[in-house]
Amino acid sequence: MARYGMALDYKNCINCKACEVACKEENGILMGADKHRIWVGTGEIEGEYPLLSIASNTFYPSQCQHCDDAPCQEVCPTNATYYDENSIVRVDPEKCILCSYCMNACPYDARYVDDRTVTVDKCNFCTDTRLDRGEVTTACQATCPTKVRIFGDLDDPESEISQVLRERESKTLKAHLGTNPKLFYLL
Amino acid sequence: MKAEVSRRKFLQGSVAMTILGGTAVTAPNLLSNEHAAKPSIISKTGTGANTKVVPTLCEMCVNKCAALARVENGVITKLDPNPLFPKSRNMLCPRGNAGIAALYDPDRLKYPMIRAGEKGEGKFKRVTWDEAYDYIKEKTLKILDEEKDNRSSFLFCAGEGMAEHTFKSFYEAFGSANWLNHASVCLQTVVSGYGVTLGGYPQADMENAEYIIMAGANRAEAIVTPDTMDLFKRTKRRGAKLICVDPRFTNTAAKADTWLAIKPGTDLAFVLALTYVVLTEELYDKKYVAENFNGFDEYKSTVINNLYTPEWASRITNIPSKEITKIAREFMAHAPKAIYYPGRRSTFAKNDFQLRRAMAIFQGLGGGIDTKGGLIFGKKLKLKTRESLAPLYDRAQGRAMGKKVKKAKGQTGYEDCAIVASGGSWIGWRNRFLEGKMPYKVRGMFIYKHNPVMNTPNSAKTIEMLKKMELVVAIDTMPSDTVMYADVVLPEAHYLERTDPVKTFGGLEPSIAQRNKVIEPMYETKPVRDILRSLTRMLSKPIFEITKKYDEMVQEEIEESGEAKVFAEFDINLPFRENQEHFNEHEVSQYPGAAEALATRGVFYPNMDKYFKQLSVNEHEYYPESEKAYTVRGGKPKTRSGKVECNLSNLAKKGIDPMPIWRKEYEYTIPEGKFRMLTGRHAQFTQSGTSNNAKLRDLMPENFIWINKRIAKEKGIEFADMIEVSSSVGKTKLRAYPTEKIAPDAVFFIHGFGEESEALTWAYRSGGNDNAIIEDHTEPVYGAAAMHETNVEIRKV
Repeated sequence: MARYGMALDYKNCINCKACEVACKEENGILMGADKHRIWVGTGEIEGEYPLLSIASNTFYPSQCQHCDDAPCQEVCPTNATYYDENSIVRVDPEKCILCSYCMNACPYDARYVDDRTVTVDKCNFCTDTRLDRGEVTTACQATCPTKVRIFGDLDDPESEISQVLRERESKTLKAHLGTNPKLFYLL
Repeated sequence: MKAEVSRRKFLQGSVAMTILGGTAVTAPNLLSNEHAAKPSIISKTGTGANTKVVPTLCEMCVNKCAALARVENGVITKLDPNPLFPKSRNMLCPRGNAGIAALYDPDRLKYPMIRAGEKGEGKFKRVTWDEAYDYIKEKTLKILDEEKDNRSSFLFCAGEGMAEHTFKSFYEAFGSANWLNHASVCLQTVVSGYGVTLGGYPQADMENAEYIIMAGANRAEAIVTPDTMDLFKRTKRRGAKLICVDPRFTNTAAKADTWLAIKPGTDLAFVLALTYVVLTEELYDKKYVAENFNGFDEYKSTVINNLYTPEWASRITNIPSKEITKIAREFMAHAPKAIYYPGRRSTFAKNDFQLRRAMAIFQGLGGGIDTKGGLIFGKKLKLKTRESLAPLYDRAQGRAMGKKVKKAKGQTGYEDCAIVASGGSWIGWRNRFLEGKMPYKVRGMFIYKHNPVMNTPNSAKTIEMLKKMELVVAIDTMPSDTVMYADVVLPEAHYLERTDPVKTFGGLEPSIAQRNKVIEPMYETKPVRDILRSLTRMLSKPIFEITKKYDEMVQEEIEESGEAKVFAEFDINLPFRENQEHFNEHEVSQYPGAAEALATRGVFYPNMDKYFKQLSVNEHEYYPESEKAYTVRGGKPKTRSGKVECNLSNLAKKGIDPMPIWRKEYEYTIPEGKFRMLTGRHAQFTQSGTSNNAKLRDLMPENFIWINKRIAKEKGIEFADMIEVSSSVGKTKLRAYPTEKIAPDAVFFIHGFGEESEALTWAYRSGGNDNAIIEDHTEPVYGAAAMHETNVEIRKV
């Protein structure tokens, strides 16, 4: 029993997309730009050459925020979306009927359709791959060149993520929606 | 809050838009020879039994990062970073992760082949290894006999790699003087510029530098380990101030405190003006300069008398003069913990060698050499080396160089460059060959892991050269554009299928690492060492017979000491007899436990078990602070004099400016309606070698041409419109990416796309080939390709 979350030192991100490839390899995700559990968000740069806004080109590694109050879970008519024993938001493909309510409800656009199972898929913190093998990192964290991610148990005060969140300021995405994400962007 | 970039928005705005969705390519179905694209069951890790983990080294680019390969039921299912390696610091980039897709690429070269159709047509017949060797032997003997044992009638070419030296031993034993490697389309001028000025090509201590000028280098996209990892944890007001100087707004610019949009090819003027400010305001480290500089007074008066003022540079570079003054002052305020980052890119402008000299001298003015937070030389763990076999063939002619010509003031040099480096000038050599300016006939060519059709400017000329060669033997893993022009194709095993020569990595935290074979070679592929062992076994005696026939020295020696003894010195099979594993064990035999550590853990350095500590899940310590090799020469450069060389009179003798100066001819204007063609690197692709990689193409299926948004609007060009780009040497086609990240008078696209080989399912005509349009300009010192000297036209098609 744990309450898994992730802290992201997003200022380290160089948008190399190592995490995206590692995630796909580890978890056997289909190819295609619309099939991904994680991604790096960028905006169109602001300004006119050569007067450009550096801040407008900030990179935001993103994925399922594993909300404590997840809208996707609330709207699911078949309970396919559920919290597992480690508070990870999961999808049971056996129960999913692809009504796509969850995809619309997710404020973070973190869900997509796996064309093989024809069900909704999303990040599960490598639960059925790495964590099952007893590893303590997700594929995205392990491979990251600039070490953006710290994955761990938020309920364990001694865990690195708990320590980092105590010591540093952080923000969550779309906090005003009250979803209580377990992904924390370190400032 | 800008993080609200949704999946949909992200896809719309992304250049990486793909239509590839649904092509499920999983490892098991790639094992067949067919291009099976059947969707497979979910291929996540941990589903197979018989799991093992093998330490290896990546070969997706030049960095050689340490990886742990997970094998399930004989199939590699995952590559993870190996935290033990100080150089790669527990990481694998997107390409490193995609190594599996390269291994299981259905287009791989699988068995030996001999050309069946016209050159370039792509028609080959499958043959046995012995048939391939026989064919090579017959042709080689014919050419050598007709050329009367002139071994230099064969050209040898190699790309970068851990086995490059193995192939080079073949060239040395064979006795040719014609060797062309990647240097002249790679980092020849930067390595040499720093070499003559500081006595070596230094590394940068990015973990401790407080101020970094990164000009013409792009560490967020052209990843170099450990620089990339060390730097970007400290940018954005976290310890390292980053000044990015680049004509494009790169991902590095996105991480910088200041980005300066410089006019392409004018960096030398920028450095000279920084130097001017530092000299006139006397900001330099006077003690360091007094003790460690040669020719300082001459250089100082040259820079000051030539009035290389910030205002002067501003007119040339488009960088505001105030910024230049500010940066010069800030740099020296932080020195010696300030770095003008050396970079390691190809030559872009004709003045690149002088630019590197000026950068190295500027670095020295702050005293940031061989010191913490500056440029460092570090330490290297020595390996045992063996004598290579380099027989003397009396009939072998010297390297086919250009004619010696008189340069200014009675000085001499060659017609296409001043100095002939060991890697040669690819463009110079090729063009002389095509223009019939060779001093003798060169008729055959052995190519290893090298794709000159794609990597050298003016692809059309390289193709013409390959067509003119009577025998082209290509050793490679993929059916590249160059392989299409080969007569014989020998399939090399993939990097995950072979053990390569052990390698020592110098620096602050020196170590030795080894690429271990993870799985047995698939199909009929073999490591290059095994290929050369078999080939030379067949060739050795017959080609010695030709030497015997023409070489009077050898004839005399045989009379004196008998044939067996003489042949022993000419047996080209000798360097390849030992197997790789045994060879590696010998190379590290002076370090107890090293061979075992390398085989089981992939990495070794003395006291590794004592020093290596995991500090957190992400961070590791490799050496204690007191053992890091920040200073190994008391701050002195590695030149013979032990000083920073400002004024090199021996360069003047070869017609090269002895000190970095600006010349009027470096300035240019772009004609109306034309654009400066810029090329560069990308975090998800390494040149043409990765262009067919399914997992990387998933991130970006083709390259796009950056065109300034306002220009695009004027021309009615929208995102993804097909654009024809043309220059005086050729044309290429690719899709448009209108963006403000580039100047209105320049265009850019990444290198390595637009291959013409139909055997590459995904890379074939995907995107545009920069070298189809980059003209064959060379810089004057080494004849290295100057890649940003071409103006192009664009039109929507």
